[in-house]
Amino acid sequence: MVTVKINGKEITVEDNTLILDAARDAGYEIPTFCYQADLMGIGSCRMCLVEIEGQKKLQPSCVTPVLHGMSINTDSGTVQTARAGVLEFLLANHAMDCPVCDKGGECELQDMVHKHGPHKGRHAEPKFKFHDKDYVLSPVIIKNSNRCVQCMKCVRVCREVVGQNVLGALGRGDHQEPTSFFRAFMNCEMDGNCIEVCPVGCFMRLPYRYKSRPWDLKSSDTICPYCATGCRMVIEERAGTLMRAKAQLGVGLNSETLCARGRFGQDFVNNPERINQPLVRRYGKLEPVTWEEAISHIKENLTALDGDKIGGIASPRLTNEELYLFQKLMREVLGSPNIDSSSRFSPDAVEGFVAATGMGEGGVSVYDCMEADTVLIIGTHLSDENPVIDYIVRRISASRRMNVIIASPRAMKLDSSANIVLRHNVASENAVLTSLVIGLNEGKLADTLKGMHEAQLDANLKASGVSADLISTVVNRLAASSSIAIIAGTDFLRYPEGISGLGLLKDLLKSRGKKVTVMPVLDRANQRGAWEMGVHPGFGPGYSETRKGLGTEGMLDAAMKGELEALYVVGSDVASMYPGDDFARTALSKVGFLIVQDMFMTETARQAHVVLPGAAHAEKDGTYTNQEGRAQVIKKLLTAPGRAKQDINIIRAIGESFDRSFGPKHFALVLDEIRKEVPSYADVSLSFNNKRNTDNKLDNRGALVKAAAAPAVKVKSFNPASVETSGARFILTTGNHLFHSGRSSMKSETLLGLLKGAVVEISEEDAASLGLKSGEKVRVKGANFEAQMTLLTKKGTKSGVAFIAENFDDAPVNRYFRRGGGIPRVDIIKTI
Amino acid sequence: MLSEQAKQEILASLKKYHDKRSAVMDAVRIAQKENGGHVVKRDMEEIAEILEMQPVEVNAAAAFYTMYRIDKPVGRHHIQVCRNISCSLMGAEHIIKHLERSLGIKTGETTTDHRITLSTVECLGSCGTAPMMQVNDEYYENLTEAKIDELLKKMA
Ligand code: SF4
Ligand code: SF4
Ligand code: SF4
Ligand code: FES
Ligand code: FES
Repeated sequence: MVTVKINGKEITVEDNTLILDAARDAGYEIPTFCYQADLMGIGSCRMCLVEIEGQKKLQPSCVTPVLHGMSINTDSGTVQTARAGVLEFLLANHAMDCPVCDKGGECELQDMVHKHGPHKGRHAEPKFKFHDKDYVLSPVIIKNSNRCVQCMKCVRVCREVVGQNVLGALGRGDHQEPTSFFRAFMNCEMDGNCIEVCPVGCFMRLPYRYKSRPWDLKSSDTICPYCATGCRMVIEERAGTLMRAKAQLGVGLNSETLCARGRFGQDFVNNPERINQPLVRRYGKLEPVTWEEAISHIKENLTALDGDKIGGIASPRLTNEELYLFQKLMREVLGSPNIDSSSRFSPDAVEGFVAATGMGEGGVSVYDCMEADTVLIIGTHLSDENPVIDYIVRRISASRRMNVIIASPRAMKLDSSANIVLRHNVASENAVLTSLVIGLNEGKLADTLKGMHEAQLDANLKASGVSADLISTVVNRLAASSSIAIIAGTDFLRYPEGISGLGLLKDLLKSRGKKVTVMPVLDRANQRGAWEMGVHPGFGPGYSETRKGLGTEGMLDAAMKGELEALYVVGSDVASMYPGDDFARTALSKVGFLIVQDMFMTETARQAHVVLPGAAHAEKDGTYTNQEGRAQVIKKLLTAPGRAKQDINIIRAIGESFDRSFGPKHFALVLDEIRKEVPSYADVSLSFNNKRNTDNKLDNRGALVKAAAAPAVKVKSFNPASVETSGARFILTTGNHLFHSGRSSMKSETLLGLLKGAVVEISEEDAASLGLKSGEKVRVKGANFEAQMTLLTKKGTKSGVAFIAENFDDAPVNRYFRRGGGIPRVDIIKTI
Repeated sequence: MLSEQAKQEILASLKKYHDKRSAVMDAVRIAQKENGGHVVKRDMEEIAEILEMQPVEVNAAAAFYTMYRIDKPVGRHHIQVCRNISCSLMGAEHIIKHLERSLGIKTGETTTDHRITLSTVECLGSCGTAPMMQVNDEYYENLTEAKIDELLKKMA
């Protein structure tokens, strides 16, 4: 610790604290352009100059650490003159076109000049210009370099955080232009983090161009509804239209970053295809009715039904309050234990995964994981599925240099931050993890067991396709680490065999006295919340013991046999997501009474007897629980279109039609009830939304849910996934595309502008051996489905693996799968 | 397109560095030389591939230095006049004016017969003999107008 004086005030701070941070701690703001806590310091803009007693020259406080006994002045006359001088130079070539600049009103340069002067410039020379017209860098980015203050935040965020590295600082001095290679259109992550960090109007959002002024926008501080990373964002509207979403420096675990989905995908809310009135099927046609008619029609059809013959499926994008009320309606009012929140994952797999990742043990912060000696990432294509977690791992591993081990069949951007990459066969997570367990046990066994062990190891190595050398390197790193974080993704739910390996490895490492943290990574905003609220056939709220019911698969089976008399689907498109071509649709057509509540006319909704128009996240209040187990607040900004209603009110209206006292009547009261009924949520508070973090830790630990009382889940063993035996060349895997999340993102105009048509991704080598090139049109042919799409090649992906994301309407990947069948194989053929 | 020989030269230069990326300066120099005095987009892309960098990083490294010319062809003789402090004090401004007048072009331009390109650069490390300039790979020092007239005559 060192003690320094700042503006006469004595303060004691950690060694190596930057003067800037020390001053902020002491309560003095220092203006900056190029400084950003998450980025490497470059000390280039000189806005942050301070005077240090005894030193002749002013020093940049953002790169100068405090020394014991320093006396610093952050606001002396010299400092003020210097600041005004820096600004005068920045304005020397500045375009000064504030009236037509999108940044006007929230521009750091405007604010800075307003505050620190000079209010008159002395430069009379003609201004230097990089270019005349703004130029487009991507479907979401437009650039004007004439406004640049050369802080290089754009270049640094793209390299250090996003890892895409497609921006460079071209030229030098005042002629230095941060831009793409030859100012050409970029093929990048499209996350727009360069826009967010730019203090001025150089990098700008194309979809928002000339649409509004910041002071005309109303905003609300909420959570992204796409993946379960749970990024904090501010969404803003003007005259009822959602205009943009942005992140906030130092707020939320994501700080100033978002991915493309989060930053550009919120406009689905404005989609004119939103359903805006309740519909009831009459003589084969869906016709508009009033809410009273719809609800009484539902009541009529549900009354007198045996609860066991009713089912309910609710989307993992609903709020905790909605999901809690949904299961309460199903269980307590309708008497049905048949509840699920997924059409993709089996209830057994979910239980095993919940147990193996220890969700019942309470929340785990991603920042805790980043403090481990070794981080093992397995069962997820992290870079595409949870991009902001990819950013966090990249940024922190660059300075902490912990071991990062990635196990995945597909190459990903984060591979470049990994020390070891295990490119294993599809669905062989179990073999990888078991090999590690065997390796860790080596040398600790009686001789008699050794032979058996070796045979077992060989079998597992063969199954995973990973070399013995790589496994033993990983084993050594694990053995040498005293803390290990395992980040486990949704492939464990697709191929549940890996769950037992995950459980084994976790237990073994723990038994060796190591600190083990397991963090699940999930692809739907409130998937964890859905489980914790008990929207699952195997456990109730808080993973409590409950009467077992049917999951989606069981319900569809029952429907097929004509035994499901009613099904209430909220926000789930079962027909589009459930594996198998026609099974779900046929099954749904046999349901006696199908109620679908959604924002859009989905495949599933088209088959319904009653369609109820629900609301988007931007139209709701409530809480989401992200994958870490962080309960965060979402806040209403807009009113649902037409007669559409918040889902919580629709669920309650149905409940009330049976029992006047069904409730609680307000989301906050529902949360109160959750706090009572679910002990792990006892401390969840609406005030979590969400203080600005002053310490740059971005880690609001109060929001992590506590351990459940007695979680009714067990790690189970599952059969190995079988692979279809057809002779086709590729094994098909799926997941989310970087620009999409389930089917809801397909309603975002901007995201569709980034990618609309289906793509299939294979390795470069496979493409070359088939004589195919990236970008070509191909037919992907499976046993029961084929479709045309665009080929994309990826360097480093395992040979024989084809990936088609689950998001595309024009090539629904679920149709390649067969209900109860193995992992499909496909052939890829050039279209002529 | 880089020739096979240029690629070999670049690969050979890798030996000088711990980190592949550090060879970017050599690589751009080799490409520029082969291409007759300036580098083009395609070359930078190829260099990026060899050195496992992004093309924009190669571009950024090259754009920082006046000794690299990006996408701007030069004449057979490329005159680079130093205009940094020492040379300026010793009359670089006159030298530049004199060259512009004699050649009938402005700084940054090339004569219509593609014979000579005139540009100005930062310190070439020859301050003791200021004012000075570099023509292709040669230094010409302690310049006077007469010396320059003499030189220009010899440039075919
Ligand atoms: S959008 Fe992202 S990847 Fe693309 S240039 Fe900006 S920061 Fe880089
Ligand atoms: S474009 Fe923006 S972020 Fe990039 S250097 Fe210029 S002012 Fe900074
Ligand atoms: S999709 Fe996920 S990673 Fe992207 S902004 Fe939303 S929550 Fe964050
Ligand atoms: S903020 Fe310190 S030099 Fe830019
Ligand atoms: S200033 Fe001209 S060579 Fe140094």
